[in-house]
Amino acid sequence: MTSLVLTVRETLRYRGAIGQWSWVLHRLTGVGVALFLALHVIDTSWAVFYPDLYVKAIAAYQSPIFTIGEFGLVFAVVYHAFNGLRIIIFDWNPQLWRHQARAAVAVLLLTCILLAPVFLGMLGHVIDFYVHESAIASHKMLDVVVFSILEQLPFIVGFVAVLAASIVLAALYSLVRGEPGAQSRQLSSSPVEKFWWSFMRVSGIAIVPLVFGHLALMHVIQGVFDITAAQNVAGTLAVNGEIGGVPSAVEFVFHRWSYAAGGVFVWRVYDLFLLVLVVLHGFNGLRYVLTDYTSGHEFARRTAVAFCTVTAAVLLALGAAALFVPLEKKIIEEAMFATAEVYELRGEEIPPELQAYLNKHDE
Amino acid sequence: MDVTFKIRRRTPDVPDQQKPYWQEFTLNEVEPTDRVLELLHRIKWEQDGSLSLRRSCAHGVCGSDAMRINGVNRLACKILVRDLGEKIQVEPILGLPVIKDLIVDMKPFFDHYKQVMPFFVNDEPLPADGRERLQTQSDREQFDDSTKCILCACCTTACPSFWANEQYVGPAAIVQAHRFIFDTRDQAGDERLDVLGEPNGVWRCRTIFNCTPACPRDIEVTKAIGEVKLAIRKGSTDGIIQPDAIH
Repeated sequence: MTSLVLTVRETLRYRGAIGQWSWVLHRLTGVGVALFLALHVIDTSWAVFYPDLYVKAIAAYQSPIFTIGEFGLVFAVVYHAFNGLRIIIFDWNPQLWRHQARAAVAVLLLTCILLAPVFLGMLGHVIDFYVHESAIASHKMLDVVVFSILEQLPFIVGFVAVLAASIVLAALYSLVRGEPGAQSRQLSSSPVEKFWWSFMRVSGIAIVPLVFGHLALMHVIQGVFDITAAQNVAGTLAVNGEIGGVPSAVEFVFHRWSYAAGGVFVWRVYDLFLLVLVVLHGFNGLRYVLTDYTSGHEFARRTAVAFCTVTAAVLLALGAAALFVPLEKKIIEEAMFATAEVYELRGEEIPPELQAYLNKHDE
Repeated sequence: MDVTFKIRRRTPDVPDQQKPYWQEFTLNEVEPTDRVLELLHRIKWEQDGSLSLRRSCAHGVCGSDAMRINGVNRLACKILVRDLGEKIQVEPILGLPVIKDLIVDMKPFFDHYKQVMPFFVNDEPLPADGRERLQTQSDREQFDDSTKCILCACCTTACPSFWANEQYVGPAAIVQAHRFIFDTRDQAGDERLDVLGEPNGVWRCRTIFNCTPACPRDIEVTKAIGEVKLAIRKGSTDGIIQPDAIH
């Protein structure tokens, strides 16, 4: 831990050039996106497994705190993408190094240029939601914020559980392998590290179009507020609400993952590629960050590696399970009670279609 | 002109000086062309004889007076007052244990240096004329830049990866390895690539570019590290250094 404190303090004190600050921002944005990724994969899988929880998760994402966070997330993804491409260019072409500082400035400029219209588009959705639709009654605002924070408690518990599991795994591993003694000081080339170095760069390039497409569709063209709006689900031919009577977050996911073009579930394939690449890239990146600061302490280092491995495995398993499970229309019905709760939470009137449904199933 | 020095001091073996502290000194009649090393000498000789620093040749060749001056690693004997201003802050380089004031323990640094086998290896008998192993000018130019290293540790102790993890082999050792890996006459390149390919070898480099501007010899440090990474990825040095990249 002293290593982390010292490194952070001295990084702020050392007058490195722009490359150093690009690296700081690259790490912060990377860790931020990886943490959000964990929440995002888990709650998206709920759409299939626990529809009522998914409705509430999306309601939390539509609260003011997450709206601010969403702007931060989009900035983080865009900056990390552009700066990552810059690093790849100079890693693969070391002879170009003289241009790196200019490239770092270009990364910042490109980020700003791309984010200006993107943020305007996102702001449009926010204004629609709060001003034109007045979706949240003003006296309910505090309730909504508190609700959106409490909704995250299970994730914190989950992270603590994974951390505990990682400590146990690291302890077991240390029992089996023992402490690194003289024999493991033998220096030899690590094919694993070589693989990950190349993987981070190749996957980084592959992720950029996938994640930009995902962000454009889910944050700009149709924002998080449109997930529960009665409109065409972007990228499909269906309209949200045509099955459930009222639009719901679960039905949105249902339409996306049911949409098949030429016999191929386009969005399931797309999301599967995105899931695998992003989880591996994100949690190997987190392993880089954590092991950098725990190298002086073997047990902490092993715990960090176990933490990243377990989290990535859980996310891959959960995400893949959600993508491969056959979708049933009953998940949309299961979401109705939670949808009514969200209406109530926001002080909105429950639409007659939903009320009729609730009355019918109220026994 | 008057110059104020702020020096980071620490004496680990004196109980009440174990914690580092800042001490200020003011020097009069300083010339803009004075070097920081001369002024540190004046402080030591005229004001406080207990100030400790390391230097030998005092002309930028031996590499023993690397310090963090106004936040950046430099050689005290090469940097002039006119490039720093009237307030000068001097600290020991970061990431190595402080012995006293500006003197750090270089042992971890040299241990990494030794790991990469920084000596010429060729067990073949000498050429028939019994004189020297010849190579072309362009072969020699491949590692020309990395021969300039004076092992001052400015680059390694400017590296955030090294601050975080002293087991990381560090830029200086990689530059020294580069000097032999890309020498066509040397035969231990594979062993060096093996050492540098381990988890605390080149893969800890995050392409931050702090090392390159820190080098008092203007070695293209990050470029050299990048070339070693590519050689490890490829498993050979063939074609790694582009001919047009050689100036």
